[in-house]
Amino acid sequence: MEQEPLNEFEQELRQALERRPAPPGLKRKIMAERGRLHTERLRSRTVIWQRLAASLALVAVVGGGVAWRVREQERKGEEARRQVMIALRITGHALNTVKTQLAGHHRGDGE
Amino acid sequence: MAHEWQPDFEQLVDEHQSMVFSLAARMTGDRGLAEEVAQDVFLELDRHLRRMESPSHVCFWLRRVTTSRSADALRRRRVRCTDLWIEIEERHGASGEEKESPLGARLEQMLATLPEPQRAALILRYQEDLTPEEIAATLDAPLATVKSQLQRGLKLLRAKAQSQLKQFVRVKR
Repeated sequence: MEQEPLNEFEQELRQALERRPAPPGLKRKIMAERGRLHTERLRSRTVIWQRLAASLALVAVVGGGVAWRVREQERKGEEARRQVMIALRITGHALNTVKTQLAGHHRGDGE
Repeated sequence: MAHEWQPDFEQLVDEHQSMVFSLAARMTGDRGLAEEVAQDVFLELDRHLRRMESPSHVCFWLRRVTTSRSADALRRRRVRCTDLWIEIEERHGASGEEKESPLGARLEQMLATLPEPQRAALILRYQEDLTPEEIAATLDAPLATVKSQLQRGLKLLRAKAQSQLKQFVRVKR
């Protein structure tokens, strides 16, 4: 008793809810927006890569500069050490000469 | 196993635009909003295209995302049911090329006055011809809840139809 009118009602509802055609411009809008988004995504990806490349270049330049500076300081330190060693060697040699001369004088005084 | 199915986006739009638009239009009651929702849904499909495994998967995904996006859009707009009907009559239903029975048009109008979960279940049931199990999967809701929403929705719609559409019912009989 209750089932029959419900079926009829459901049939009416089914008919009322048939799919409607999409607006004519919908597909065109979707495809245009898709194209725009693809281009935008590609552009932003390119920008990201460019920024990454610029960052890497900057890191390389800064890193190279720091490395060069460290190496330069080491080189200067090595050069200073070498000069100090030469100076010490010269001083040692001079002291040896003075020591030899003094020893000669002492021997002369003793005789 | 790799997916052998190669989806063609343009073809998918051709195939499903009517379904997506109708779902969105009936859920939101606003043709303009429905177009926006449909566009967003298809653009999201484009982003997820590689994950689609089969035509039926696309169909399921589109129904699910359209229902969910429509509900979100509706919540954002906070459109009142009475306003929905003005929108539908003015923009959606009153298309010159569509021939509808007055009873059908009124039923569709009354459908929009139902609570959102009941409306979604009824649209999926009677527009998309889905079984309660399929609706439950689409809406990610328990089967018992969906069955109850369908029953309550139908009951409410019938009650509204009986009180408001007596003249149509009499004419039909």
